Amino acid sequence: MSDVLAFDDVTFGYGRIPLLLHADLHVEAGEFVAVIGANGSGKTTLMRLGLGLEHAQGGTVSLFGTPVARFHEWHRVGYVPQRAGVGAAIPLSVEEVVRSGLAARLGPLRRPSTDQRDRLAHVLELTGLAGLRTEPMARLSGGQQQRALIARALVTGPELLVLDEPTTGVDADARVTLRESLQHLVQVEGVAVVYVSHDPEGFAGLADRVVEVRAGRVLPCDDPSAHGHGHDGSATRPEGAA
Amino acid sequence: MTNPLAFDFMRRALIACVVVGAAAPLVGAFVVQRRQSLIGDGMGHVAFAGVGFAALLAIQPVAGALVFAVAAAIVLARPQRRAAGDVTLALVFYGGIALGLVLLGRTGAGLGRLLGFLFGSPLNLDWGQVAWIAGLAAAVAAAVAVLYRQLVALAFDEEAARVAGVRTDRLSLALTLLVACMVVSGMPAVGLLLVSAMMVVPVAAAARVARSYRGTMLLGSAIGAGSGAAGLLAAFWLDTSPAATVVLAGIAVNALLATGTRLRRGASA
Repeated sequence: MSDVLAFDDVTFGYGRIPLLLHADLHVEAGEFVAVIGANGSGKTTLMRLGLGLEHAQGGTVSLFGTPVARFHEWHRVGYVPQRAGVGAAIPLSVEEVVRSGLAARLGPLRRPSTDQRDRLAHVLELTGLAGLRTEPMARLSGGQQQRALIARALVTGPELLVLDEPTTGVDADARVTLRESLQHLVQVEGVAVVYVSHDPEGFAGLADRVVEVRAGRVLPCDDPSAHGHGHDGSATRPEGAA
Repeated sequence: MTNPLAFDFMRRALIACVVVGAAAPLVGAFVVQRRQSLIGDGMGHVAFAGVGFAALLAIQPVAGALVFAVAAAIVLARPQRRAAGDVTLALVFYGGIALGLVLLGRTGAGLGRLLGFLFGSPLNLDWGQVAWIAGLAAAVAAAVAVLYRQLVALAFDEEAARVAGVRTDRLSLALTLLVACMVVSGMPAVGLLLVSAMMVVPVAAAARVARSYRGTMLLGSAIGAGSGAAGLLAAFWLDTSPAATVVLAGIAVNALLATGTRLRRGASA
């Protein structure tokens, strides 16, 4: 199977502090990979490198076989960042948020095609938001806001979905709905999922593989419930870190 | 009571204030969402240096203001500049207003002329200036309409927009250029120091009651236009500064909507 996301010998740090050292990770089409690690271990940074939001200082990062710096087929990638920005200064309706995922595909003044409108309706249905499409985001619960961000990431019909701490601030009912949505995506739509979280409960039973970011490396993890915190809960940094 | 619209100068002022009031919130909606509400204010400071250069070269003040504001927009929109933080912005903005004062002082411009650039002089506009204001405001509104979807994506979540394939660096530059054009368009009517208020205040008022981004923009535009008209007419009857009264009218609408929203929440609690 072909890799949808690949990190080969990737090195990255902020200033003189190394965070990732010769990290490797390959995610195949249709695979669900959970990435865990202590706070500050570099798991979010790893994904930001994968999405081209940060630039590796060594090694290569590829999306669908293309180095991320030269990658242009962004409609194949969906990204759900940590739930920030929802507390917006200006009200946005659920539909406006989800539709903003199509911004790059629509171009100036172009109206969504029938396919795009159908897809929009589908992802609203899939995430259980069809009845809330005109509601302002600020009036939704944390779980509903999270689902709106997932719907935005899915509206282009991506083949890879990257979620960063999707269960943060989400209640128990919403976690169940989120799991069901992800299950549908993987099993029915064949979407590859990279799920970054410190909370193993969110992906238990869903993930094909769990890896842990520790000491600057990406390591296989057989027991996600006991992943490597230091005694104080802080990340283990790579050797040579300040 | 005297009919203000019986005077030619009032008709010109009314058109200018309504046009600026309607167009400014279309840009303001994006700068407010990006928490850059003061960028228009800063851009006005830089444009003031352009006014000073224009006076020195004996060319149209708006031409000098436009050149300087656009140059500032290009410099400030660069990612490394944005990362440099507010001290860099402060240096550019205060440098702009200081340079403008020095240059205008060299040309012997009087206090009245200075205040006109800073706080607007809508009653002194000729039809050519009104046409210039309307043309630039229309261009800004058209650009917002063309870039609307991308701008919403950028304003709501810049990083997610990048991953969705939006060219966010170019778009940020385009938005800053639109702010620059709006500042220059509003300069003759409401002044370089108050035009920023026309971008922000109507949007803040509209956001209290609207349920969507589009709704906020359109209602903000209506509130801006209404404040432009009401403020100008109030200034005529009360003999107050027109631009300042226009801004105060917008702030009054904001206060009314804030009170109404609070009362409604109290009633439903």
